[in-house]
Amino acid sequence: MGIDFVDIAQAIIDGLLFGSTYALIGLGFTLIFGAMHKLNLAYAASAIAGAYVGLAMITLTGLPSVLAFFLGPIASGVIGFAVYVTCFRYIPTTNMLAPLMASIGALFFIDEIVIHATAGSPLSFPAVMEDIYLEFGDFGFRGDLIFVLAISLIAMAVLMYILFRTRLGLATRAVSQQPIAAELCGIAGHRTNAITFVVTGALGGLAGCMAAAAVGVISPLLTVPITVKGLIVTVIGGLGSIPGAIIAGFAVGGFENLFLLLFGVNQRDIYVFLLLFVFLVFRPGGVFDTAIERD
Amino acid sequence: MAFYFGLLQTIGIHTLLGLSAYILLLTGQLSLAQVGFFAIGAYVSGILTVIFEYHIVPGLFLGALVGGLFAFLVGFPALRVKGLMLVVATIAFSEIVRLFFFNLNWRVSVNGVEVGPDSTQGFREIRFYAANGWDTLDVVLFVWLFVVIVMALLWWLDRVRVGATLRAVGADELAAQSSGVNIVAVKVSAMTGGGIIAGLAGGLYAHSATYVDHLTFSVLLATFAVAYPILGGLSSVFGTLIAVIFVQGVLIEGMRFLGDWRNILFGLLIIIAMNVRPAGLIDGKVVLRIREALGTGKKSGGEGHAETR
Amino acid sequence: MFNLKPIMKPAVMAAALSALISPAFAEETVLIAGWGAKSGPLRSFGVNSEAVLKAAVKEVNDSGGIMLSDGRNATLEYIYFDSACNAEQAISVARKVASETSALIGIGPTCSGAAAAMFGVFQKTVGDDSDTGLQFPILTDTAVRNGLAKISQWTFRNTPNEPDMYDKLFAWVAKTYPDLKTIYGGTETDQGHSNGTYSKVIVQASKRHGFDWATGAIEGVTGDLGSGSTEVLDSSSNWLMADTNFSVQARAFKKSNADIYIISSHPFTTCGMLKELKRRRAEPKLMIGLTSSSSAEVMKGCPDAAEGMIIPTSFAPITPAAEKVAMLANENGGDADLHSAAAWENVMIIKRVIESVGIGNTPETLVADRRMIRDGLETLEMTDGLIGEVQRVQDEGEALKPYVFVQATEGKWAVIHDPRAMQ
Repeated sequence: MGIDFVDIAQAIIDGLLFGSTYALIGLGFTLIFGAMHKLNLAYAASAIAGAYVGLAMITLTGLPSVLAFFLGPIASGVIGFAVYVTCFRYIPTTNMLAPLMASIGALFFIDEIVIHATAGSPLSFPAVMEDIYLEFGDFGFRGDLIFVLAISLIAMAVLMYILFRTRLGLATRAVSQQPIAAELCGIAGHRTNAITFVVTGALGGLAGCMAAAAVGVISPLLTVPITVKGLIVTVIGGLGSIPGAIIAGFAVGGFENLFLLLFGVNQRDIYVFLLLFVFLVFRPGGVFDTAIERD
Repeated sequence: MAFYFGLLQTIGIHTLLGLSAYILLLTGQLSLAQVGFFAIGAYVSGILTVIFEYHIVPGLFLGALVGGLFAFLVGFPALRVKGLMLVVATIAFSEIVRLFFFNLNWRVSVNGVEVGPDSTQGFREIRFYAANGWDTLDVVLFVWLFVVIVMALLWWLDRVRVGATLRAVGADELAAQSSGVNIVAVKVSAMTGGGIIAGLAGGLYAHSATYVDHLTFSVLLATFAVAYPILGGLSSVFGTLIAVIFVQGVLIEGMRFLGDWRNILFGLLIIIAMNVRPAGLIDGKVVLRIREALGTGKKSGGEGHAETR
Repeated sequence: MFNLKPIMKPAVMAAALSALISPAFAEETVLIAGWGAKSGPLRSFGVNSEAVLKAAVKEVNDSGGIMLSDGRNATLEYIYFDSACNAEQAISVARKVASETSALIGIGPTCSGAAAAMFGVFQKTVGDDSDTGLQFPILTDTAVRNGLAKISQWTFRNTPNEPDMYDKLFAWVAKTYPDLKTIYGGTETDQGHSNGTYSKVIVQASKRHGFDWATGAIEGVTGDLGSGSTEVLDSSSNWLMADTNFSVQARAFKKSNADIYIISSHPFTTCGMLKELKRRRAEPKLMIGLTSSSSAEVMKGCPDAAEGMIIPTSFAPITPAAEKVAMLANENGGDADLHSAAAWENVMIIKRVIESVGIGNTPETLVADRRMIRDGLETLEMTDGLIGEVQRVQDEGEALKPYVFVQATEGKWAVIHDPRAMQ
């Protein structure tokens, strides 16, 4: 069974559509990193946990399943706030390693809570527009992934608006660039950081819901792969670069699926990591190379 | 006693793994590549003792050496990246190593039995200890011999100029460079040293567990490797040991009586520990107090020099 | 199953009452230990296994406990540990149970990777004094990866024999659906069990019974177990255990135009793959799954997409005994499936062995008792299973369990063929 052009194009299309999930997770990492220059490893765990809460709420109350995509992000926003308070707020800002470690603790904690609540059993997750499969000649588009893409584009647009058109966004950017100067100008650093965690948490929750909806099943198994993919997207996109993270998310999704088609699943991830190395060596500043290099 | 001896083996092996990340953290490099070197050491020494029927000592040394060689090679490109970029790049390295062993199939017939790594089926029956009549106490002494040597070496390095150089690079790379420190040499040596120790730990792990497969060497274990020195504090090599005892001895084995609560408390206690002691369980002040108590306190140099990491 | 509950309830309460009274008469206890994954993403293994173990121990005590050699009666007690699918923890628990408790035998661990490591620290050959491995009998219920028990003579398993199951399955499919000719499939390659069973057992069994690979014969594959296993993986469309995107694989399945799809993976990705196949409108005439997927998890995750899938399994609530175990497991907060149900059988095997070898059950005789139990396990030729008699493969420490073929039907696993009568 040979691989023809349609296979390749279709693999890339599917990958790009799924890549919107990676883009959202990468965006979350990059925003937190941009704001605090710190890494929150509990991020993907809170994303998945939020999706679980959304699922639990619609299952227990019988609400329409589309609401999971709103309740999930809200829950993740709350979890994001809790992670900020427990892992970042009270640890000296100059200390880079302690919050990282605390967020690893939070990753274990959140995952175990989910695992205990569900006995580790995968649960069916509702998808919106699941029955739609658009076909154009030889090509097909999954309706639920188009919905996922649309939602993530809206989320990104809203985020860009908040960051660049509102006072809140101005404060966030100010704290991220010059925390002390921002503080002197009367911007509450901690409050701004907390808001960043809530907003990115909600983005993550959306990504978690979408990943679960795309698979159709949710399990805590999703946490580690999403964390790794999100980090790769963050680096390829350039640390702190918002458009970079979005483009990189789609690119990683597309390439991943293409590598899967060409090299098989056992080698797929090796090529994804090699792609990352190519960027680290030739474009360490990320796809757009405009973000200020930070460590 | 077998249980406690087994636990001591685990603590020793994880201490070595943690120390391999500790040296790198001193130079300011947060590396998740340690589990990659650990995997290399595990497979190389396992292959040597099982397929080539080596004695464990040369097997371990060669495993550590190959781990160090790869670390040396990783050390140069790693100079280009820092902070989060390094974290992600080293995760990628570890994952590539893991995927290599995931695909590795090397089955050989030794004494009529087929042995060796069998990709996803794993590498079974690395039974040097049991097959050669070493009981658990012998193994504990063997493992701890290496732990003591490595800890003593690192402790000594920290007391002489080398330690100051490593910490100088970690504290402020630019300042260190302007005072004539060769950054490339320091960072690459630290990476190589870390690789050797991780490779050694990997070899010891493979023989204690008698079995390895690619899933053992996950990102999760990589985070454990850096977790130990961070949790324990970078002011002293003993911090890492204390952290390993805390995680393996208390959180994992010691809290079994709590049943299901143990798993939930695991993460929670790590969060609490980092909030209460952000510079680690054994931070600069503790080290200073211990030194004063022992009467060996050097007044200079001790004052919480790793307080901010 | 559910409508039985109200009828059974008084009986269960009466049984519980008698359990409360009976310890007063029993003077001594016999201790066994269980361990498995109770944390991490595979927690359901440990939860299910412990739920069945608990029910089985209660059953033994309700029917008079365990008879010791000199006519004394002892109450059976169990302790359960979490080993988290982790090799180090499984080894640690094994050492703890063997050296710190008076447990006579262990049931665990649940994960094959942890089992492969744990079995390695046991003495390989009994009585070989130069081998310092642990000397403690194990009778594992869940870890199913092929050929583990022979790692040590102290380790035994009561897990299904997949080569036999899939051989009979394809023979039956060939007879029942004579129109189906071609086959295509994929597996979760990073899991030893799904990968090994797929590439060494299932595809070869299909070949043996005259099915053709839909995309052209695979080089090296004959009817023999394990033949051409590398080529099988290369010719299939595979995925990993934590994968989320199955579009490429589903397309390859659809393109193969095969009559039969094989989906050899654990519940999480089985559901992901099945849902994607459904979305892509890939409509095979038949789907065959991995034994491990014949569990409640698939029915929770994707009942619609799994509809029609056929799996051979060593457990189904088709006998009164199996029905009872399924119900008791639910009452204990778990599910009985082909993995966990074995814990019930194991407890009954242990009772039978202890009663036949005549242990002393004192701290002084602990070492000798454990050895006697091991020897007793080795001499068993046949044990009672929940759905029929289980043959022991003595030199390997493995079992040949009876099985049935189940099909996903309206959110439940329904038995569609029962080969037990023909065996």
